[in-house]
Amino acid sequence: MTAVEEPRAAAFVRPDGKEKVTGAGRYTADLNLTGQLVAKFRYADHTHARILRIDTARARALPGVLAVVTHEDVPDVLYGGMVKDRRLFAKEKVRFEGDIVAGVAATTAEIAECAAALIEVDYEPLPAITDFEASMGEGSALVHDDWESYEADDALLRDGNRLGYSTIVKGDAAAAMASADVVVKSRFVTDPVQGVPIEPRAVIAQWQGDKVTVWTSTQVPYAARGGIAHTLQIPESNVRVIVPLLGGGFGAKCDFHFEGHVAALARAARRPVKLVFSRREEFFAVGHRREGMVIELETGARADGTLLARRGRLVLDKGAYCGEGGFFAQMAAMHALGPYKIETADIESSLNYSTNQPSSSIRAPTAPQVCWALEQHMDELAEALGMDPIDLRRHTLIEEGTVTATGQKLERIAMKETLEKAVELIGYGQELPEDEAIGVAVGWWPCFAASSGAYVKLNGDGSGTIITGAQENGTGAVMAMPKFVAEELGMQPEDFSILYQDTDAAPSDMGSCGSQTTFNSGRAVIAAAVDLREQLLDAASDKLEAARDDLELVGGAVRVKGSPEKTVTIADLAGSGTFHGKGSGEPPEGPPAEPAEGCVGRLGLESFHAPQLIAHAARVRVDRATGVVRVLQVAAAHDCGRILNRLGADGQVYGGVVMGIGQALSEGTQLDAEGRHRNAHLTDYKLVTASDAPQIDVAWIETDTPGAGPKGSKGVGEPPCVPTAGAIANAIAKVIGSRVRSLPMTPERVWDASP
Amino acid sequence: MSVSSYVTAGSVDDVLAALAGGARPVAGGTDLVVGARSGKSSLPESLVAIHRVAELRGVRVSADGLRLGALASHEAICENEEIQARYSALADACTIVGSHATRAQGTIGGNLMNASPAMETGGPLICLGATVTLRSAAGERTIGLADLFTGPGKTVAEPGELLISVDVPAPAAGTGSAYLRLEYRRQMEIAVVGASALVTVDGGKVTDARIAMTALAPTIRHVPEAEAALIGSDGGPAAIEAAGEAVAAASSPISDVRGSAGYRRAMAAVIAGRAIEQALARARA
Repeated sequence: MTAVEEPRAAAFVRPDGKEKVTGAGRYTADLNLTGQLVAKFRYADHTHARILRIDTARARALPGVLAVVTHEDVPDVLYGGMVKDRRLFAKEKVRFEGDIVAGVAATTAEIAECAAALIEVDYEPLPAITDFEASMGEGSALVHDDWESYEADDALLRDGNRLGYSTIVKGDAAAAMASADVVVKSRFVTDPVQGVPIEPRAVIAQWQGDKVTVWTSTQVPYAARGGIAHTLQIPESNVRVIVPLLGGGFGAKCDFHFEGHVAALARAARRPVKLVFSRREEFFAVGHRREGMVIELETGARADGTLLARRGRLVLDKGAYCGEGGFFAQMAAMHALGPYKIETADIESSLNYSTNQPSSSIRAPTAPQVCWALEQHMDELAEALGMDPIDLRRHTLIEEGTVTATGQKLERIAMKETLEKAVELIGYGQELPEDEAIGVAVGWWPCFAASSGAYVKLNGDGSGTIITGAQENGTGAVMAMPKFVAEELGMQPEDFSILYQDTDAAPSDMGSCGSQTTFNSGRAVIAAAVDLREQLLDAASDKLEAARDDLELVGGAVRVKGSPEKTVTIADLAGSGTFHGKGSGEPPEGPPAEPAEGCVGRLGLESFHAPQLIAHAARVRVDRATGVVRVLQVAAAHDCGRILNRLGADGQVYGGVVMGIGQALSEGTQLDAEGRHRNAHLTDYKLVTASDAPQIDVAWIETDTPGAGPKGSKGVGEPPCVPTAGAIANAIAKVIGSRVRSLPMTPERVWDASP
Repeated sequence: MSVSSYVTAGSVDDVLAALAGGARPVAGGTDLVVGARSGKSSLPESLVAIHRVAELRGVRVSADGLRLGALASHEAICENEEIQARYSALADACTIVGSHATRAQGTIGGNLMNASPAMETGGPLICLGATVTLRSAAGERTIGLADLFTGPGKTVAEPGELLISVDVPAPAAGTGSAYLRLEYRRQMEIAVVGASALVTVDGGKVTDARIAMTALAPTIRHVPEAEAALIGSDGGPAAIEAAGEAVAAASSPISDVRGSAGYRRAMAAVIAGRAIEQALARARA
């Protein structure tokens, strides 16, 4: 186990940085095609209503309108992740504010908007089902009336409005709770949160014959391609998805979203069609936000802090549709355990339909909210035990050899080391002004092993091109690939270009989600580079009349070890043949887990593959009279395995911490009684600005975790989002002497909670 | 609705002629364009751009007072050292309006005529005793700023009238002023609660005081009860607290996404108290 203090090599600067910061970069909204039309949607006029009639005649008659599309104009198919529950265009019912009833393509945005308003829709309004905790009660009206008929994953328990249900049961938690010296119970509630990429999404579709090309701001081009093919019932091979520069995603641009609608409009209009979202649409119309939750926790401990029992009841707001968030109940349950040694457990987690905006993955889905609650709960337990919260964690955190409550045996992890490092960096225990305090929180996050593939080809001039299915969402993970390839081939990162955003070019890839780009796509790219290296060594062996084993690749050349004069440059070799490597690499095997008795809703997350371990410490200042909280410093210590690109990894922590501060203090979507957004704009959905960003100290504890990705790496993108709000919450509680039990912890809520 | 007519005026007379024809003036566009984009209010059919009109420019400080042309940007105001020193509350306000871009682009005339109850510059200028000059094709009039606002987004200005300039008398010796707002974050904020204070101190006594509240009533307005609590006092903690409480009592805040009425009222006392403290410190400095 080693702590990385300094970058191991000269900082590698991502090649897309300059065009992005100078404005030279071209995003989807910057592209224009000849004859292009503008798309606008007619959204639901109620958050929950039966559709009685749709009449598009007046919209179609408006000069300049070339297409109006409703459910009647596309195949009658449902789409979705673990439950196929949604149509491109609403048919029987609308189920949330952003449900799309019709799409319009017109020559100008104004005409398209006017036409969308001219579509006549008659509804029978139904009561909104906004209370996602009550929606699972007996007799609650259903969001999806006949969803037993939907295609769905068998592991999901479908019961009333409950889409997902997961439990983690180990031993007799009730008996253990009864025997505990100290029992603490807590209840927490969180507001929904948005991804808020700075680039609102854009889609352009153009048909040529029966083939369609779609330019789209997606994190998951292959999922977008699959979605278009499925909803329009055309072969996947007829769909090509290209992603120009992507202006951020944070998970919000995962999943298939609006590509199908725009492709349907372009087909009907026989012209290219472009959709560009307004900032308001980017808030309310996207079926993809971080879910609201109710989190109830109870923990029983022995007087020395040993965790005897954990009970948990979690309720998650799925919103109207499944999307790709069907696994959230189990993911949340895992975070209610947290990275702790617990003797018995009884956790139940429900993921409920409502007529609110659908929730799906946003950077470390479910984790920041549950971690925020659990880490406050652990501090409450420490207080009840009369222990320092750090000492309680020292005593109870997972370590090498721990068998978790779900039966996973952990090997070579540095959870406790991250805690010690964060505590050291922040100066825990130092004298502070009376309005300041330090809080600490810990968390974990799994790696996701998946198949991937890549090519690396050599160009005639000796440069190379990397062809990968991975998508760059701003993390720099794809941008770092030339570094890995160059290391294998003894070349420079600048020698390589990257072709990464075209589904017709590269093998299928999971996309920019689950912190998996380096883990899986990086593995494939390195395997392709190794394949290419073997080809170069073969060719050089002939040319230099030397044994392959005596050759090495250094400084852009192949040379005989110990005889630097016997050398051939890669540029010379490149001209002599066609060199192209391909690779996938073997996805590492997941950890074995003993199935815990009585657990239901097992979706594969009951063990955490090569877990990333995180400890954050935050120093905050609270203005007690107003409740305004300023975060002054965050120390972040992570075990994310071997760090391959220090500059990029640090950048993920800076961004994740700042995003975490927003979620902690100011970011929350407010809904009215009907489930409509009340603050769908950047004035009142308050992101953290650069001026609010604190000092952030980063430390990496490197481990060789079994099941890790290439060169011992784990993911780094999502973990920094996990424990930031929890650390801030614990610091706030120390200053004001009570707990803020609603997230975000806005000034008014802090002020309300203050004694 | 989209803009069908856009003219760039070269003189005040050009502007007034366009206004008489039904056009709306645009300078920085920071309220007009943002409002239209967010769907708050659509763009007017006819616009007259006034940013090139020389007569409307300028920040002039003399012994008698301060004159701001309608086009004076927030940045130009807050960068002026004489304004920082003698008209501190106005400099405080212009320093924190919106973002760097808003401050560079937005103008004092636009900020005042937009008449938002949450605007930054209104409270300080009311406390400083500012007057505004309105001109139309029919003539010119000068009114106290406090009399300009009639409701959220509403002023006494007639459709054909243009704000030409803002005049502020020089504060008496021993005067200090300050503007403070409750800030959830450090940039890009809009006032949830704001307070302006101007105090004149002579021999340990407060001889004059003007207190105004922001985002706490349908218009920016001053609070005579708070002023009464200070005038004649020693400006100590008890007087400041009483003045703060008077502001809270006079407020009629709303509940919205930015905060509840109860929180706003409680913060009115806190923020007003802090503004008064800072004004006193400046008066005594």
